[in-house]
Amino acid sequence: MSLALPILPASPAWIGSVCLGRGRVPLVQMMSAGDAESLDARARANAELLRRMAGGDRDALAELYDHLSRALYSTARHILNDPAEAQDVVHDVFLALWENASVFDSSRGSAFSWAVTLTRNRSIDRLRTRQNRERLLGNSVPDDLGYGSNAGFLGADDWAELGDRADSVRSAIDALPDDQRRALELAFFSGLTQSEIAGRLGEPLGTIKARIRRGLGKLRDMLGHRL
Amino acid sequence: MMDERQSELAALHALDLLEGAEREQFAAELGRSSELRKLVGDLRQAAAALAYLAPQADPPAALKARVLASASAARVPAPPDARGAPAPRRRPAAPRAWIPWLAAACLGMALVWSERLYFAAKSEVMSLRDERRLAELTLEQARAQLGDKARLLAASDRRAGELSERLKAAGDLARLRISTLASLAGNPPVPVAVAVWDPGREEGVLAVSGLPAPAAGRDYQLWVIDTQYPSPVSAGVFEVDPATGEARAAFRAARPVKSIAKFAVSLERKGGVPEREGPIVLLGQ
Repeated sequence: MSLALPILPASPAWIGSVCLGRGRVPLVQMMSAGDAESLDARARANAELLRRMAGGDRDALAELYDHLSRALYSTARHILNDPAEAQDVVHDVFLALWENASVFDSSRGSAFSWAVTLTRNRSIDRLRTRQNRERLLGNSVPDDLGYGSNAGFLGADDWAELGDRADSVRSAIDALPDDQRRALELAFFSGLTQSEIAGRLGEPLGTIKARIRRGLGKLRDMLGHRL
Repeated sequence: MMDERQSELAALHALDLLEGAEREQFAAELGRSSELRKLVGDLRQAAAALAYLAPQADPPAALKARVLASASAARVPAPPDARGAPAPRRRPAAPRAWIPWLAAACLGMALVWSERLYFAAKSEVMSLRDERRLAELTLEQARAQLGDKARLLAASDRRAGELSERLKAAGDLARLRISTLASLAGNPPVPVAVAVWDPGREEGVLAVSGLPAPAAGRDYQLWVIDTQYPSPVSAGVFEVDPATGEARAAFRAARPVKSIAKFAVSLERKGGVPEREGPIVLLGQ
């Protein structure tokens, strides 16, 4: 079974397998050898920086900040829609990485995914605290958070800014069907529950669950541990 | 082999979308299945890629400086190879040259201070001893004064007794009839006699001096002159010491006497006479 992926500017060919409910299905396109090597090299470099940080190397922290701060800050700002709060989150995340660098285990995941998970969790915690306090987002996500019909997707300029590493990631994300990508986007950035996501998208809860399962499975199969 | 339900729960768990009992149930499944744990880990890894869906923006330049400053202020992570191992022992600092001098100065100051404390304590002990001795002396003096007072009191008591006795005697004497007897001969030495009469007891004492011893076969005899009787009442004879001419003798009247007017001594026959016969040699007032 084959699956056609959206055509992206200078998009590489992907070949892999994606989990579609039952069994794995090979993709008609595959990540190029250069993209895979780039992602692997970046992952190894970040792991090495964490190892040096565990030894108290502040230069390594500065270097890791240069590698990750843009993605982390963008994520936090997108979740919180507040630059000041996003800075606080990024600050706290890098401090947590600095103090806990010694517990990092590259066999369990990449430094990037660890830092993103910390950023997302802390941002959502702040968001939920804010929601509980102000009860502004009780039933729906405001449009100004950027979760409109086409909001949240990166434009060509945005992708260009992400550089080579992002090229590989964007190819994988853009390979997802729109409904899956949208469900994943809400699940990742909004802090909404499953039911709230279903209500937001106007779909049955079971459908949303299936979309999330399929979309995340595809990403895993395409990206692996290369982040 | 993973079924669809487990894959779905794993994807939802990787995005922290499970809640309540569903989450607890899946956590229990995770604990039992390493394959499931690996799937969740892989899905979390894939979910991190969604971060690139956010519109990209550079953080402010100041944020990096803030992070690095905070890291400098925070604790330095321990190196992995040193984790769990005992902390390296710090090499003791080399002793400085002034430390012995400082120790000696401290010791000297301590000695001086101790000496001051010793003498201060000794002085205080001596002062306490002096106070104790003074208190003992004061007590002894008080006891002595108390003894003196007691003795004075006893003496006063005795004196009071004596005075009481004297007063009593004086009272008794007030009752006595005291009479001096003068010589009627007029020859020197002039004899003197004093007669004291107790009318209560009807007895008296006669004291004589300067009276020449009577001739042989003769005695001096005392007489009591009571107006209720027409002639003197004999009070007995008395002997005179020929060497001194003195005599002392207690006497009683031969008849009951109510009121004595005078006393008289006559020279009578040896042993005395019932009625006066011889010459009167002494006569009282």
